[in-house]
Amino acid sequence: MGSAETLEIYPLKIQRGLTQLSFLRIPTRPGATRPLFDLLERHGVAVRFLIEGCAGDYNRDLIVCIDSEAFTRLEPELKEVEIRMQTQALELRQPVAVIRILGPHFDIRPGTSSLLFGALQRADITVFSNATTITSSMCVIPDDQVETAKRVIGRTFEVPKKKSRQ
Amino acid sequence: MSEQSKTLEIMRRIGAPRPEKIRISGILQSPVLASLTLLLPGGDSDSAAAVLEVLGKHDVNIRFINKYKDSAGNTSLCLCVDADLLDTAINSLDVHEESLGIRDFVYHPQVIVISIYPHKQRPRVAERLFTALRMNGVDPLSTNNASSVVSCVVKRESVEQALACLADAFELP
Repeated sequence: MGSAETLEIYPLKIQRGLTQLSFLRIPTRPGATRPLFDLLERHGVAVRFLIEGCAGDYNRDLIVCIDSEAFTRLEPELKEVEIRMQTQALELRQPVAVIRILGPHFDIRPGTSSLLFGALQRADITVFSNATTITSSMCVIPDDQVETAKRVIGRTFEVPKKKSRQ
Repeated sequence: MSEQSKTLEIMRRIGAPRPEKIRISGILQSPVLASLTLLLPGGDSDSAAAVLEVLGKHDVNIRFINKYKDSAGNTSLCLCVDADLLDTAINSLDVHEESLGIRDFVYHPQVIVISIYPHKQRPRVAERLFTALRMNGVDPLSTNNASSVVSCVVKRESVEQALACLADAFELP
């Protein structure tokens, strides 16, 4: 692949003031996650970030990020949701931010995601979670590391100036 | 019979209510890929970057990544790579297995990433995707949202079934 400097990306999209909820070891069955999504839907809460993965033994892990303000509103109802989902553990991280890097075509340029992850790691930025699909990579990081992350990504890729959306 | 099969059997017997279809713009599917799921030591600084660096040096395209901390504090890293590069990926990771601290390694040689759009951060889109697939016996290996799509990794042999049940659960133009 060419040098990192040649990889132009779109302006970063950064969502701050979020809470990451990790529902760990949910039984794999149809409708298992419905109590959570129904609650979010009922309260008009946007899912800023979502990943689901296999936890072994017919269990799944579900990680979502929502606005911390919404989390505060929903918190009293979450225990009930946790019980209905039969989740074995609920872990919270806040405040976190989601940074979306869009454009460097992770799928057709081997090593692009390595550039991103390597640069963030060298800058001691903690990536709690990551979701990458084709042209888009979304990283969940501690909210207080956003400015550093922006600088690091700005040095790694060519980011248009003065267009960062927050 | 697994818990999932029992639940499915009961739901089929009693009949589940059919919810209103959710309008979406389309469903995309990737070329045939291979998936690798690695369990890495946790901690704030894990070896995911090193894994990606090894694969990058061997020209392995990565089309899908899911990374998170599991209940034991390990890092779960699910990757989808071009199917014809699976052997290259496995061999390169094998060489560095110890230094990368790979604790477990599962792969599926033929998978497809199915994406529905737009997601628009709507909770009910993700819920419908999960429920529709699992009600029809399709268990996505991994799911994420990125930008405006929600994508799931499905074994190749389940793709037709997955597409059929998604077409039934969502309203397409």
